Amino acid sequence: MLADIAANLSLGLSVAASPEAFLFLVIGAFLGMIVGLFPGFGPAAGIAVLIPMTFGLQPTVAIIMLAGIYYGSMYGGTITSILINTPGESATVASTIDGYPLAQKGRAGPALVMQAVASFFGGTIGVILITALAPSLANFAASFGPSEYFLIIAVGLLMLTTMMGDNKFKGFISALIGFAVGTVGVDVMSGQQRFTFGSPELIGGVYFVAVAIGLFGIGELLHCIFNGQHRQPAKRLRVSFRDKEFWPSRKDYHESRWTFWRGSAIGFIAGVLPGSGATLGSIIGYSVEKKIAKDPENFGKGEMRGLVAPEAANNAASAGAMVPLLSLGIPGSGATAVLLGAFLMWGLQPGPMLIVNDPEFVWGLIASMYLGNMILIAMSIFAIPLFVKFLDIPYVNVVPVIVLLCIIGAFAINASIVETWILVGSGLVGFAMKRYGYSPAATVLALVLGAMAEETFLQTYIISQGSMNLFWQRPVSLVLSLTLLAIILVPIAIALRGARQKPA
Amino acid sequence: MKKWFAAGLLVMAAGYTIYGLSTLTLVSGSGRPAAGFFPLLIGGLMVISCAVNLWNDWREEAMQAAPAHRRQANATTKAQDDVPGMDAQHIGTGREYGRDVLIVFLYICAFVAFLKPLGALLAMAVFMLAYLFTFNRAHPISNIIYSLALPAFLYGLFKVLLNASLPIGPLGF
Repeated sequence: MLADIAANLSLGLSVAASPEAFLFLVIGAFLGMIVGLFPGFGPAAGIAVLIPMTFGLQPTVAIIMLAGIYYGSMYGGTITSILINTPGESATVASTIDGYPLAQKGRAGPALVMQAVASFFGGTIGVILITALAPSLANFAASFGPSEYFLIIAVGLLMLTTMMGDNKFKGFISALIGFAVGTVGVDVMSGQQRFTFGSPELIGGVYFVAVAIGLFGIGELLHCIFNGQHRQPAKRLRVSFRDKEFWPSRKDYHESRWTFWRGSAIGFIAGVLPGSGATLGSIIGYSVEKKIAKDPENFGKGEMRGLVAPEAANNAASAGAMVPLLSLGIPGSGATAVLLGAFLMWGLQPGPMLIVNDPEFVWGLIASMYLGNMILIAMSIFAIPLFVKFLDIPYVNVVPVIVLLCIIGAFAINASIVETWILVGSGLVGFAMKRYGYSPAATVLALVLGAMAEETFLQTYIISQGSMNLFWQRPVSLVLSLTLLAIILVPIAIALRGARQKPA
Repeated sequence: MKKWFAAGLLVMAAGYTIYGLSTLTLVSGSGRPAAGFFPLLIGGLMVISCAVNLWNDWREEAMQAAPAHRRQANATTKAQDDVPGMDAQHIGTGREYGRDVLIVFLYICAFVAFLKPLGALLAMAVFMLAYLFTFNRAHPISNIIYSLALPAFLYGLFKVLLNASLPIGPLGF
């Protein structure tokens, strides 16, 4: 087995280390760092907006670059968490708790270096686990039938909405909206047109990329404007790695030595579970570290372990989220849903057969993640002063860059003005969804998986002759059905228990 | 506005379901689910959940309008964007800039509307000039340079490097 992995990795390295792939890996990692730097603009938006820039590339190179943006944003998002108490994206919120107090204590340099080391550690552990688990999971998934696939999609979407706290009902509606949009076009089973209103532009369905760019790109941009980011002055910060105090002490590494491992393990598990992802991974990583610490009172006041745990976790989670995407073809978050959309755009169908049919692509992507993490740790440490410079750019000047990239990029895909208007409409809807607590991520996930959900649901219905007994007769289906029931019933039971205890 | 957005979603859900019922076949002649089966399942769920959602939002707004002591007793948590599962979070100054959102959105609509008649390069430059002279009036020279340089760079990137199809205006670009 080890020999197989070594052979596969060397095949992957031959793809990822080619000059073209390596160049675009560096570009992707660099762009990911920048995407992470700008608050409110997450990896899903970054990937969606930059998809059109990969048109001229080979599919493998394009996906290597987009994946670089995805995990690169995890590195970049923490710089603002530490320096200005503003997380670049939600997966780095937990890093703010101890990262900013560290900077206030005059330890911004060590905090930035330790976050880079923790991110590298988590990311690399995550990729090692992908290397070990993705082929086994793909083998296991080869025996899955439509009932298992439908249940995995349902569990993933329900978990995503469950993570939304008080807004889980709105998350459920967001997913239904995605499914509804996904039904537009020709029904593949009967050939009948659905919701096309006679428009030839809609026969092929609503194009996923335009909706994703609209919801994430324009929607998040309008939301940032609504919050007044465009009215805020630029942050003038200076960090120099020539300073003596820039580097962490031996004590920092010694105290955090087990935190790296714990954070990475927790993050990876959270990443593999559909719907949870890097944000939940980093929050659990932080909570566990605080709980097991002998000095929990130091957390929140500038404790290095409080920064290392969420950083290792969110990077391991971003790698972990690639496991269900590559082996099952099922993304677990908005960002991986956009990546799946990019896979499909390039004619790659993720799932158990991808690793068999296209090993150069899968192992090239995995190998690029090893290289990407090495590039990112070097960038994160030695280019910190450069990235801090980007924070000098006022947001008012960033807005037109995003708008032009979104509109021109969406138009360039199919030279369709209808799709461009769909993007604009999706942008407005995305803004309203964010403003009122809905989940654009659930909508995009459901839109991407809608066709698969419908197909597998109908196949299950037909095979079981309407009884749906396949949902509990097959062992994996039974486990998934029970998980589904638990996700629905446990919060209801907790709410009922809470309501019963209140009057007492 | 929250309840009006919820009401809009309910109307859309009802429209989707009614249109689906009137145009799609639910079950085929052989008794198998047809093209309308899944959409109508989704439509039904959407109508029910959007109706409950509208009721919740309506009640929440009514509670917020109620006197403070009652509001405190029935406090509901405000929508937060920084919950797990989302990709970005609420980061702001505390003030809200709805008017600016409307202006930028109208500029975006105008940009798309004029994309074909003006051509990509000119439409981009006009959009940038309009946007920057609305929100960044203090720096006219840099606004003009930026409005010419960024569209030229993006036009070169998409049209020349990526060979993408962009609309050509009366000036030939």
